[in-house]
Amino acid sequence: MFFNSLTFALFLPIIFLLYWFVFNKSKTTQNILLILASYYFYSCWDWRFLFLLIFSTLLDFVCAILMEKSNSSKKRKLCLWIAIIINLGFLGVFKYYDFFATSFSTLIKGFGFQANPALLSLILPVGISFYTFHGLSYVIDIYYKRIQPERNFVDYSLFVSYFPLLVAGPIERATHLLPQVKIRRNFDLEKAKAGIYQIIWGMVKKIVIADSCASYANEIFDNYQSMNSLSLFLGAIYFAFQIYGDFSGYSDIALGTSKLFGIDLLKNFNYPYFSRDIAEFWRRWHISLSSWFRDYLYIPLGGSKGGMLMKVRNTFIIFLVSGFWHGANWTFIVWGGLNAIYFLPLLLKNQNRNNMGEIVLNFDFKSCKIVLQIIFTFFLTCFAWVFFRSKSIYNAIDYIYIMFTNLNFKSQYFKNERYNFELLLLLFLFIWVEWRNRKKVEPISGKFSWIKIALAILVLLTLGVYSDYKEFIYFQF
Amino acid sequence: MIAVAVLADFFYTFVFSKSTNRFKVEHIINTKSEKYDVVILGSSRANNHFNAQLFKARNLKAFNFGMSGSSLQESALMLQLMIENNFEIKNIIIEIDLNINSEKFSEGTRARFIPFLTSSKVVSNYYKPRLLEFNLLNQTPFYRYIKYDSQIGIREVFFIAINKPASSMQNLGFYPLNNVGKNLQYDLTGKYPKRNINYEFIKLLCFKNNINLIAVTTPICQNTKNKKYFDEIKYVYPEIHNCENFVKSDKYFSSCGHMNADGAKVFTNKIIDNFFK
Repeated sequence: MFFNSLTFALFLPIIFLLYWFVFNKSKTTQNILLILASYYFYSCWDWRFLFLLIFSTLLDFVCAILMEKSNSSKKRKLCLWIAIIINLGFLGVFKYYDFFATSFSTLIKGFGFQANPALLSLILPVGISFYTFHGLSYVIDIYYKRIQPERNFVDYSLFVSYFPLLVAGPIERATHLLPQVKIRRNFDLEKAKAGIYQIIWGMVKKIVIADSCASYANEIFDNYQSMNSLSLFLGAIYFAFQIYGDFSGYSDIALGTSKLFGIDLLKNFNYPYFSRDIAEFWRRWHISLSSWFRDYLYIPLGGSKGGMLMKVRNTFIIFLVSGFWHGANWTFIVWGGLNAIYFLPLLLKNQNRNNMGEIVLNFDFKSCKIVLQIIFTFFLTCFAWVFFRSKSIYNAIDYIYIMFTNLNFKSQYFKNERYNFELLLLLFLFIWVEWRNRKKVEPISGKFSWIKIALAILVLLTLGVYSDYKEFIYFQF
Repeated sequence: MIAVAVLADFFYTFVFSKSTNRFKVEHIINTKSEKYDVVILGSSRANNHFNAQLFKARNLKAFNFGMSGSSLQESALMLQLMIENNFEIKNIIIEIDLNINSEKFSEGTRARFIPFLTSSKVVSNYYKPRLLEFNLLNQTPFYRYIKYDSQIGIREVFFIAINKPASSMQNLGFYPLNNVGKNLQYDLTGKYPKRNINYEFIKLLCFKNNINLIAVTTPICQNTKNKKYFDEIKYVYPEIHNCENFVKSDKYFSSCGHMNADGAKVFTNKIIDNFFK
């Protein structure tokens, strides 16, 4: 069941009405309904993986309680490692086993040995990367005594399996979400309205921006050898907006849906393409994952406390792991590595926290510099996205080689009966709307919201891509 | 949302009702009382094989209404619409060969009729028993434009609005293919011509409206298994002329089922010589 499907359009109002009018007696009844709805939502993909989700929930719940009960630090550590190994074990088997097996086989073939690895070819349980990290953050926080373990299994289950965030995040923290599920929620009209605005804007991002860009980006990336330089440049830009519209659109729908149930989720995107440097980009892109890696990997590794060499090492580790988290393919690892390389000059010059404030533009030289910085950062990001989108590293390098050597910048007509430049107007309009509203969560709220809703619906109906349905990209991760 | 959908539906339908130079279906629906000596109907094997300009050279006013991917179902509907709009047609050449085996329809071609679902009774009556989602498409504002957005969505509306001509209406409807194909082959083994309800409907329409119907098969490449198929069509419908052998050499083919422009020239001239002397 996808957020942009007809079934979800039926599912959501039913759960909303039941939640506020039937199950609103106490927080327990509210939570039970949300858990049942979440399990149903999850089982719509593959009911068999529901057992995996429940097992993972139970494991972290029990390990956390055992950790708290135990006075011995050895036992606490044992519980922590059991939770980590089993959680990462599932992730490893389902997501990475085949990758490691084939990579190992290729490696030893290089030394002249023969290997025919047994591949599992397992279906990846949807959302496994998200709920695994969700659970891990909880047990790690308990281990370090940052929080008390949750003793109410219903509340904890909801924390893990809450349907708006279940399949593609944001990756929540117990400190943020658990306190909200532990109290009865009262209906707040303003919050519900904000939720609806965010859902509508998320739909626009997904159905209009991402799916339109996908038609062009797919055509260009799938046939890159017959494309000219202009098409290849545009292909990288279209993919940049496809993945942004897709994932931030999903996050907006998730956050908006959650607001309808009176629960706030962590912000996941903050207009990342308006970043002035790559460090700022990573503070604005997939915020819940970046902060997860910062808190649970970068800092435990020593963070920036050690010397410069340690900082560089840790930075490379988190970017490479972050790339690998996205998928079992070398392209994602190279993508992560490229971002680490982009980050390196800022780190060495101690400028990675330079652009922390708001972007203010005036008619002066400083503003010109800011605009150039934004364009340069966007260019770097697009360059890295080529690796993320390509099927192999060879394809990515070939794509970039043709992009810079073909030097033909004429318009090109694709097999899918589209000109390469056609989408630029829509993208400029989208950038303009986002820029004007960058201080808000979405552009619909505020003055004349009803007119803006009507416009958003009109845009959804007329510019949306419906017949060529595309799944959310991040569901595969 | 409903108000926006109603307004958008009204606007799109209005734009499509003004379109005459982009696609053949819209041209037929939005023009009246045209006169033709020859009208060509069929699939891409008609669209790419009959050069209507050659009819013009022999003082015959012709137009190729063949459409890539269209079935006999759509050809029948197009003819019905022509009659409804008082087209005066003396002869219809219809390509009947591989398409006779199929009662199927083409989504892409069907989409071109969808804007007229509410405004044309012929289109509406035609699709009522054939479209599973007829009521939804007919009664839910804008749903039809969402369902078929890749063919009749915003891009198409924009192109109609700026009056951008499409290639399908150029060359009097004939779409020439320019390359010479390699390693051409096709397999018709196990295929047998069957009676086709849509063809019979076309025959009936022609009979009622005094139109001379010329049903022909069109050429296919040499390396085709079971070419007997084209002779067998005559057992089912004796009036169909087997013109498959009018062009033989593979140098005249772009793909096994489609002749190139040179092949179309040879073929069309032979058709004119045989049927319009």
